[in-house]
Amino acid sequence: MKPVWRGLLLLVIGALVGFALGVGLEFLVMGEFDPAAPVASLFALLVGFTSFFWGVVGKSAITSGLISQIIGTLVGAGLVTLIRAFMGLDLIGSFFFTEPAWVFGAFIGVICFIFGSGIVSDWLKWARGIGTPEHHEDKPGWEKYFSVSLDHKVIGIQYTVTALFLIGVGGLFALIFRTELAQSQLQFLTVDMKLFGQNGPQLYNTLMSLHGMIMIISILLGIAGMINYIVPLMVGAQDMAFPRLNAFSYWIAVPAAVLLLMSLILGGFDTGWTGYPPLSARAPVGMQMFFLGVFTAGWSSILGALNVIVTVVRMRSKGMVAFRMPIFVWAAVATSIIALTATQFIGLSFQLVMFQRLFGMGFFDPAKGGNPILFQHLFWFYSHPAVYVFVLPGLGIISELLPVFARKPLFGYRWVAMSSLAIALVGFLVWAHHMFTSGMNEYLRVPFMYSTLLVAVPTGVKFFSWVATLWKGKIWTPTPMLFVLGGIISFLVGGLTGPPNATVSVDLHLHDTYFIVGHFHDTIFGGFMFPFFAALYFWFPKATGRRMNETLGKIHFWLMTPSFFVLTFGMMRIGLLGMRRRIVDYDPALHFDTTHLILTIAGFLIALSVCIFIYNFFYSIKNGEKADGNVWNSRSPEWQVPSPMPAHNYDEPFEVVGEPYDYGLPGSQYVQFIKNK
Amino acid sequence: MSHTQDKSSAFRQGAMIFVYLAVLTALEFFVAIALGAVILLIAIALVKAGLVLYYYMHLYKLGEEQGGEDTHSYAYTTGTNRFGLWLFLLSDFFVFAGLLVMRFNLLGLTRPNLNQGLGLLVTAVLLTSSFFMNRAETAMAHDDQKGFITGTIATLVLGIGFIAGVVFVEWPAAIREGITASSGTPGAAFFMMTGMHAFHVLTGVIFLFIVLNNGRKGLYTDKKHWAVEAATVYWHFVDVVWIFFYPALYLIGKLA
Amino acid sequence: MRHFVIVGILVIIMAALTYAGLNSAGLMPIEASAQAVSIDSLWNYELIAMSFLFALIVVPIIYSLVIFRRKKGETGDGEHIEGNTRLEIAWTVIPLFMVIGLAYMGAYSLGEVRRVDPNAMVVKVTASQWQWKFEYPDSGVISTELRLPVNRQVVLKMESLDVIHSFWVPEFRLKQDIVPGRVTEYRVTPSLVGNYKVRCSEICGTSHAYMESPVIVVSQADFDGWIAEQQAFTAANQTPEGKGQALVSANGCAACHSVNGAVGVGPTWQGLFGSTVELEVGSSVTADEAYLTESLKDPKAKVVKGFQPTMPIYPFTDEEIANIVAYIKTLK
Repeated sequence: MKPVWRGLLLLVIGALVGFALGVGLEFLVMGEFDPAAPVASLFALLVGFTSFFWGVVGKSAITSGLISQIIGTLVGAGLVTLIRAFMGLDLIGSFFFTEPAWVFGAFIGVICFIFGSGIVSDWLKWARGIGTPEHHEDKPGWEKYFSVSLDHKVIGIQYTVTALFLIGVGGLFALIFRTELAQSQLQFLTVDMKLFGQNGPQLYNTLMSLHGMIMIISILLGIAGMINYIVPLMVGAQDMAFPRLNAFSYWIAVPAAVLLLMSLILGGFDTGWTGYPPLSARAPVGMQMFFLGVFTAGWSSILGALNVIVTVVRMRSKGMVAFRMPIFVWAAVATSIIALTATQFIGLSFQLVMFQRLFGMGFFDPAKGGNPILFQHLFWFYSHPAVYVFVLPGLGIISELLPVFARKPLFGYRWVAMSSLAIALVGFLVWAHHMFTSGMNEYLRVPFMYSTLLVAVPTGVKFFSWVATLWKGKIWTPTPMLFVLGGIISFLVGGLTGPPNATVSVDLHLHDTYFIVGHFHDTIFGGFMFPFFAALYFWFPKATGRRMNETLGKIHFWLMTPSFFVLTFGMMRIGLLGMRRRIVDYDPALHFDTTHLILTIAGFLIALSVCIFIYNFFYSIKNGEKADGNVWNSRSPEWQVPSPMPAHNYDEPFEVVGEPYDYGLPGSQYVQFIKNK
Repeated sequence: MSHTQDKSSAFRQGAMIFVYLAVLTALEFFVAIALGAVILLIAIALVKAGLVLYYYMHLYKLGEEQGGEDTHSYAYTTGTNRFGLWLFLLSDFFVFAGLLVMRFNLLGLTRPNLNQGLGLLVTAVLLTSSFFMNRAETAMAHDDQKGFITGTIATLVLGIGFIAGVVFVEWPAAIREGITASSGTPGAAFFMMTGMHAFHVLTGVIFLFIVLNNGRKGLYTDKKHWAVEAATVYWHFVDVVWIFFYPALYLIGKLA
Repeated sequence: MRHFVIVGILVIIMAALTYAGLNSAGLMPIEASAQAVSIDSLWNYELIAMSFLFALIVVPIIYSLVIFRRKKGETGDGEHIEGNTRLEIAWTVIPLFMVIGLAYMGAYSLGEVRRVDPNAMVVKVTASQWQWKFEYPDSGVISTELRLPVNRQVVLKMESLDVIHSFWVPEFRLKQDIVPGRVTEYRVTPSLVGNYKVRCSEICGTSHAYMESPVIVVSQADFDGWIAEQQAFTAANQTPEGKGQALVSANGCAACHSVNGAVGVGPTWQGLFGSTVELEVGSSVTADEAYLTESLKDPKAKVVKGFQPTMPIYPFTDEEIANIVAYIKTLK
């Protein structure tokens, strides 16, 4: 039986077994038979998920890790419950275990995943004074993608596929609530329905919140996928500076994703992805799973960024001085500087709310002298620079691919390189523009308006450079280039709708409306989604030795792009007219029904286009048209060797002897391979 | 400063720096009592941190030639590892910076009513542990295995002493004074800051145990002891954090 | 050179068309406050800038895609143009001045919006999950509707009982969060008589979507009349039940508790008094005066089965609580 079918079969069996276990446990402890008990759904999810992977690949890092996580979670929760029994505290909460038990259990679950999956086995050996070989042999075939590999190319693909999976989950949540929103008044997310301990509006709030965060995590994983795969190839390294840390950074995202999914089942949460207290201090237990899940994912981001910076600084090929690096490497470094440092602040802000909930520490509780606005400062100090983490790699992809498809140098390469660093730097100084209405000190609003508008300058440098790169080129538009162009236009609209948000008085009208939702979908699709697809279509032959289907690619683009602009323009329109964010329902008297219906249809069309992409992606791995040479006629070093990429990248090292983007200069060469003596 | 120093002068320098740190700590304690000058307290903390960063953590090594051309040599790999470690510390620094932001936003220029004697005591213990850590590392850099072992054991004892002092003496003392985790923002800030710091001291202790164990097996030499350098730099980092946390919690501001 | 001229003309045409299109699309709601004028004026300048910049980037790109397209079978590369430092400096410095200019305009606009009228009328706003309460300190009137006289600045002093909410009337344009533990201020000069709505604009839980109240702007004369009416009504209803009913309508209890048996966020009050209620923890209790009093003082103490413990604590005096209980008693 093919692994996928085995997986699906075991998914169903595992889910049923898990469900039965949960119902049984509920019965044993609570004395009542309740098929709707959240603990039953939770077990169904966890055991089903794990069984799926068992069916596909049997014993491997993912299955060992997940099994360890499930056991660890139960043991941890059980331990806390036992301690509570000794202390005479209540043992059962509204979702089976009490909140402290769930939090500690989830934490132990993550720790057990780390140890059970084998990702730290080399480090444990080093701790015992035992050496390990530098390279690990990967399992042959596709099984290596479910195991711990130290090869950055494998890890890059693991990141990418996980990102695509999370895009699917986040997108599914969006389709669910967009269906409800298509018409005013509640259709199926009603007040009397109940799922996972939540009624319709509560479930909406959870789905909407998770849509945001799951998409954000998918972006972090997607950029990690692109950066991990491409950067070592571009700088001529055999691998990243710290291959085991690289594997760790990928694998820790898996238990993080599990925690986020657990939050849906353990009562959900109603704060949006931003988790503001005091609301987040009183939300159901799912809030804690959310906080812990994001905290865990943060480790992936931070450690991954560390690896990128060290790799670029220490492992470049001979002759690759700073201004002869491919532009994507500059983007990766700028991104990583942000991710390395600022991420700690979202971790800290969430940690403080977690502790406020668990121990009554009144950081954000006015009754104890706490300050809710402090949370927002800490949170946005990361979360604004985070959006530059989301878009800088994609903007780097655009800069990287335009020369290939315009057959012209990147105009003003040095300026473009510096603009990524400038955006990263200025991006640290603007966070309070998310807080113009928050009640923070009024005099802070004007300086942040100035700094926010300032970011437009280096961003403009990129746009003008892109226009100038295309000018007088010899442009051809296969699918990757279509997505590059779509990214430019989308990011342009997103960027241009920034200044109205930046000017405080206008923002008073725009804040917390669908105008903002349209603005950030434009910037995110432009800065990440479109370039991500471009990168996948572009480097697919490098990874697999085959091309993705060009016709399906064009259908993907032409279905997605107009739908996307209809979506975001529609959002901005109703936002200006009064449509607030994060609401499950809206007044029919506002006459937004037609627009909402259009938005929902657009969403479904985008989803359809992504399904076409997914089909194309996986089908072409084995069945795509063979393409083992320099398919795009790129000057970049990885295209000078055959595809798929050899296991240790370059059998012969290369030396940089010219500029990266000297298209149109006869006889010019970027890299020259050094024959082994 | 560099390995051109001989062992005894390196030991002497390490001791001198420790004396400066101790004097500065006494100075900041009395500045706080007598003057309450916040700027001065911050300045003293910066000087102390600078001393530790330069003389104990060897920050300047980052600027030195890191292993030359041969990218597969031990020297080159160590340089790469060193850069990675400092980036990790840069990231960790942001956690503690965030905690300081929290403290000053919530408490402003007031401070919780903590036991000054205990504060000074645990600070002295931690600073002394850094002295011994420096001694241990200096010994290893000169292939003095025995000096390394004794220095590391001394560091460990003091480090564990610090954690015990904070968790089993300071915390109960604060609770007896009515400063609990849930009593209000002074307690919340105190417990979160000392808790996060103590957690990092604990991870440092675990790291040191591992390095001590491997050291006893004879795994390190004066030419190859990256793990020792890493554990040392991490240990001093945790000390530098306390150099800022101590005045922030005990010295800066008026009693509420 | 020819290319630049054509592109230049096309940019201007497209910018003009884009702006005209956006301008005629009626993007903003009607202006109903003096502050909205300044905001809409700035917005208009921003529309012009957005239209121009959009055209400036999109037109050359599309032009290039058409004119500089690689022809079938062509294999050569484009022109080897690496850059142009003067151009780079120009398109760094000019946008720099433009954004500083826009920021200045923004600061000016903000100053206009926040201009203080010392004679502004004060209204106290209390936001809680999930209703609004408005109090007029000068006259002692309490209402769940915000009624305002036209052309007079009013300053709302806003407090929250539980979580962060936000006050927004699209036609006024202004928005301000309401944060527990502090008083935030909202200054507006309504300029157009009409019926509007304030809807909470910071997610505040399950019924955030439904947290709204009418905002009714009337002439000064009508406003004074309404105040007098409200005062008279309160004076006439001085029985405990009457006072209780006034409190109930002033505090918007109907948002969660119906009086007609309908199930809402909270249990219905119809027939509540004297009935037996089953609690979340499993036991049962009679809904007598003691139970109702306790539940008003500590809503989370004895939650009815099937409902969430989300009711906030209202700062009622003991007498007010007794009045409310008296009113509930009348609901059969």
